[in-house]
Amino acid sequence: MKKSRLRFIAPIAVVTALALAGCSTSNLGGTADADPAAEAGPIKIGAVLDVTGVGASLGVPEQNTLTMLAKQLNADGGIDGRDVELTIIDNQSTEDGAAKATSKLIESDQVDLIIGASRTGPSLAMRPIAEAAKIPMISVAANVAIVEGSEWVFKTAQNDVVVLERILDDAEAKGYTKLALVRDATGFGEGVAEYITELGAERGITLVMTEAFEPSATDFTPQMTNVRGSDADAVIIWGINPSAGLAQKAYVQLSVNKPVYHSHGISNQAFFDAAGEAANGVVAPMGRLLVADQLAADNSQREVIEQFKADYNEAYGEQPSGFAGHAFDAWHIAVNAIEAAGTDAAALRDELEQAEFTGVSGVFAMTPENHSGLDASALILAEAEDGRWNLLKD
Amino acid sequence: MLTDFLQLTVAGLSQGSVYALLAVGLIAVYTVRHVINIAQGEFAMLAGLGSAWLVAAGMPLLLGVLVAILTVTLVAIAMERLIIARVKKLTPLTSIILTLGVSTLLQAIMLLAWGPEAKGVPLFPGTNVLIGGVSIRSQEFWMIGALVIVGGGIVLFYEKSRWGKALRACAEQPVAARIVGISPVTASILAFAIAGFVGGVAGVVASPIYLSLWSGGVLLGLKGFVAAVLGGFVSFRAAIVGALLLGMIEAYVAGYVSSGLRDGAAFLILILVLVVRPQGLVLKPTAVRV
Repeated sequence: MKKSRLRFIAPIAVVTALALAGCSTSNLGGTADADPAAEAGPIKIGAVLDVTGVGASLGVPEQNTLTMLAKQLNADGGIDGRDVELTIIDNQSTEDGAAKATSKLIESDQVDLIIGASRTGPSLAMRPIAEAAKIPMISVAANVAIVEGSEWVFKTAQNDVVVLERILDDAEAKGYTKLALVRDATGFGEGVAEYITELGAERGITLVMTEAFEPSATDFTPQMTNVRGSDADAVIIWGINPSAGLAQKAYVQLSVNKPVYHSHGISNQAFFDAAGEAANGVVAPMGRLLVADQLAADNSQREVIEQFKADYNEAYGEQPSGFAGHAFDAWHIAVNAIEAAGTDAAALRDELEQAEFTGVSGVFAMTPENHSGLDASALILAEAEDGRWNLLKD
Repeated sequence: MLTDFLQLTVAGLSQGSVYALLAVGLIAVYTVRHVINIAQGEFAMLAGLGSAWLVAAGMPLLLGVLVAILTVTLVAIAMERLIIARVKKLTPLTSIILTLGVSTLLQAIMLLAWGPEAKGVPLFPGTNVLIGGVSIRSQEFWMIGALVIVGGGIVLFYEKSRWGKALRACAEQPVAARIVGISPVTASILAFAIAGFVGGVAGVVASPIYLSLWSGGVLLGLKGFVAAVLGGFVSFRAAIVGALLLGMIEAYVAGYVSSGLRDGAAFLILILVLVVRPQGLVLKPTAVRV
């Protein structure tokens, strides 16, 4: 009997499992106070972060950082005597989750400012909602498309373009003329191939091959096999962890044997956890946080970085990552602007457009035209060795 | 060209071995209890995360891995005793709902216990091998070896041993099996123990290169499900062949077409099989249908 039974069950099982895959729900964020916003009430800051899902290695330290800083600020009396109420929502590393969370923060929590998201894709999904509602938003993700031409959106992670310039300068100096790119298939990797082609042309560098991977991918043999067969002199792997770390591991295990660059998307411990010994020799541009102990004594960022590292270590018993640094900068830029301009959205936006801040990710100087505020000087070049980063070039 | 093809084949076979072990677990439970175990993929993640945690806490690799596999086997038995065995009238639909509940519960426990970030067991001992430009990673030997030993062992167990024959009897002729004194309770416990054990093995051998994640079991279980469907949900051999094929097809699609279509390939195969050939790769139409 029962051939028909299997026929009947199988589709149900598939649908159920697919539904489950799509809607694993968990909200690790704080809960919101329904109190309607009043000028005298608490200042409300919302955050939308990739706490679970593929962006978890970014979102978790960012959540830790914001929670810690909010606690510190309120313990010191808040802003002008008003408490700061921080609401963090987990977008589960999805675009629709980010959009929903943004609408909720604006409509029911009535926040004064939004921080997030951790990655480019979700940040791009939030941008039109924040713009339509005219609420200032500070993303902690990288792709320049998040802020380009925007009136209301700012960001604190170093632009992908300056990261690429840094990589291409080094490649040119070492005499590489052909590059292969293995990139994240989501928003973070969008446009990277075009930038390499454009910026490479001035340096005599051509892009000979582009491969893509999903951030949830676990096997990178197909991509690395294709790269191994190409005539590239060096390879750029552009992604976040754990996928970028796994890609690096496959890269070494499949003996591609070409020099390899990574993006600033790997500046955390998760890279070493995923790649293991295969991380040795990787060169990547990143902020100064992970090499703070090797900076010149008079470096202007050194003090703020060391204070942040000490605070974070005390609160969570581990070292912060570069992503924690992006959240640190977003928080302070937001708080400084609210202190100066209050919570009126337009005034706050105008204040953010002239924000200057010496932070963890770099020395920010926002302008109405540049909502990212960082240039190539925010990046150093570091090389991985035995689970730590060595400063190559400041 | 040929090198690339072989390289992709190696990746597909090792990935397919993991799917095959999960399919074996699904079929073991289905043949005895008519339960489609949605939590099969969670068994793998639980073993992977558990052993990663034990090893990080200082336990030797081999011991940590064994403890994790045995724990997951016990979890599977507990699931059978506490939930499945207590249902008076078990239909496939209720079984899906129940095991879906277990799957969600296990995910929540893993998320709370080990956090949302992916973790991996250290690489197992061994060296990478380079044969004619095709590199085979040491862990891939472990993955394929796990299938050969564990998967092969279970096939032999079913076909040669008394207990295995008793399990098949329960599946084929439940009433007659009871008459000759085979306990359906023992058979059910044994089936879930096998499911937990192979799920655990799959989880620990895959963890060093694919990592383990609290939410990763769903997709993995689904791939095992596709392989089980290829085996008509009755044949271990057909399901193992199907799983290896599925792994290779995924690797070829990712390598030659686009890596974004990789997961789509599995579901396309699933739909095609269910529509065109619901008995899967099983050749003999006389094969036992349970």
